[in-house]
Amino acid sequence: MMETRIPKNSAVMAALLRADFTTLWRNRRSFRLVLIVPLIILISWKGLIDKLGGVFVLSSCITIGLTSIGLMGYSNSIARDRDRGVFQRLRVGPVSAWTIMISRLSVQIAMIVLMTVLVFVVGYFVDHIQISPIGYVAGLLMSMLGGAVYLGLGQAIVGRIKNPDTVNSTTRLVYFVFIMIGMFGEFGVLGEVIEKLVIWSPYGVVRKVLAASLAPATWNLETTWALLASIGYTAVFVILGVKWFKWESK
Amino acid sequence: MPEPILAVNGLNVSYGSFQAVKDVSFGVYGGEIFGLLGPNGAGKTSTLSAVEGLLHPVSGTVTVAGFDTREKPLHARANMGVQLQATSFQPELTIAEIIRLFASIYGVDLEDDAVKRKLAEISLEEAAGKKISQLSGGQQQRVSLVISTIHDPQLVLLDEPTTGLDPQSRRQLWERMEHFRNNGHAVLLTTHSMEEAEAVCDRIAIIDHGRIIAIDTPEALIEKHRHDPEVLKVVRKGKVTLEDVFIGLTGTAVRP
Repeated sequence: MMETRIPKNSAVMAALLRADFTTLWRNRRSFRLVLIVPLIILISWKGLIDKLGGVFVLSSCITIGLTSIGLMGYSNSIARDRDRGVFQRLRVGPVSAWTIMISRLSVQIAMIVLMTVLVFVVGYFVDHIQISPIGYVAGLLMSMLGGAVYLGLGQAIVGRIKNPDTVNSTTRLVYFVFIMIGMFGEFGVLGEVIEKLVIWSPYGVVRKVLAASLAPATWNLETTWALLASIGYTAVFVILGVKWFKWESK
Repeated sequence: MPEPILAVNGLNVSYGSFQAVKDVSFGVYGGEIFGLLGPNGAGKTSTLSAVEGLLHPVSGTVTVAGFDTREKPLHARANMGVQLQATSFQPELTIAEIIRLFASIYGVDLEDDAVKRKLAEISLEEAAGKKISQLSGGQQQRVSLVISTIHDPQLVLLDEPTTGLDPQSRRQLWERMEHFRNNGHAVLLTTHSMEEAEAVCDRIAIIDHGRIIAIDTPEALIEKHRHDPEVLKVVRKGKVTLEDVFIGLTGTAVRP
């Protein structure tokens, strides 16, 4: 038997990360969309900060950004590359499936960090929202946890639906529903029942946990329940997403 | 008798209650181009997918360079180069970036000069900065073949590589296949072109309804079946070809 050369996982991961980050960077339209929507809302809500509170505004904008990353960014890129056979091409090489997925998720985590930091920076300089240093750090960590909820949801959608166009339209619909019902529902505009549903929806629990982490002194029992609900949503979405997922769309 | 580089033994593949591959066995040796032919839905792609490790067979074994594809999948895949039907590369990356990506995946160090040399080998040195969509079909296939063989694998799997190519590009690809064979590689080729199979394959297996129904050299297959009534019925212009034998063995009905 001839000697077989198996590349190191670290080398393969580095190559995949380089390719995935390059792909993300060159996909400027979706890159900008994911970053711009929360920033537009942040700037347009400047006049409401006194009424709503800076922490509410920041947590809402980050939640909206997380929703776009998980639904618009992640699931669509997976659906598109699966349909083009990009994953199959990688999988016939000496690459484990988890390496491919970790590389893809790492790109999304970097996007989450970038979006959150941008919201903090624009919030500070444009909206003059100031929170404690601990609040910034805790908010950044919790945005990654919140991001997991939406990445999980994106995984579940791309697991359930194979056609990339259907994935695209479904994620747009879910995104729209989450944002509109989430924002207006929380304000009580859509009635008391919707308000209660929104509070315990993926949108509501993520926003609540984010708000409490940005102002750690406000963390209470309800926030802990919201944190547990976020973990629960993530677990359910990830389990379903992994169970349903197929590497090819045909 | 040397050991085959690819050995498929008693392979069975099912999709739910439908059995796509039934007890398929064959071997591909170094210095050989082996053609796997069959009508649509005959089980070619399922067999190839099982060899590539993209699907798990119900039973049977596949070994590549002595490595079982289920027990040592990474070792088996490290010894094979695969050209899929579609070119399947990220459209945002340049050709040079794609080549470097796959070189790293296969553990091959490629400097910029080496990438240029690889592209020069296929007369595409100007394409390094282009995207895959900016190349013609033939150029894409040449890039794909370079990537598939970047690690100098013992086994090269080519899934309908000449579909849609003009005669010049097809001939160039045949020459590449023959180059691999002459350097001791084992080549497994699937194709719908009987002309191609006759021109480049040393041995051929015809698969239909999931089973291998004939396996031999093209010349021996023609000789063996030239007097079959089913073959004689479909002969055109008086000379028995591999296509006549193929249709005689698999029937004239068009497959979906």
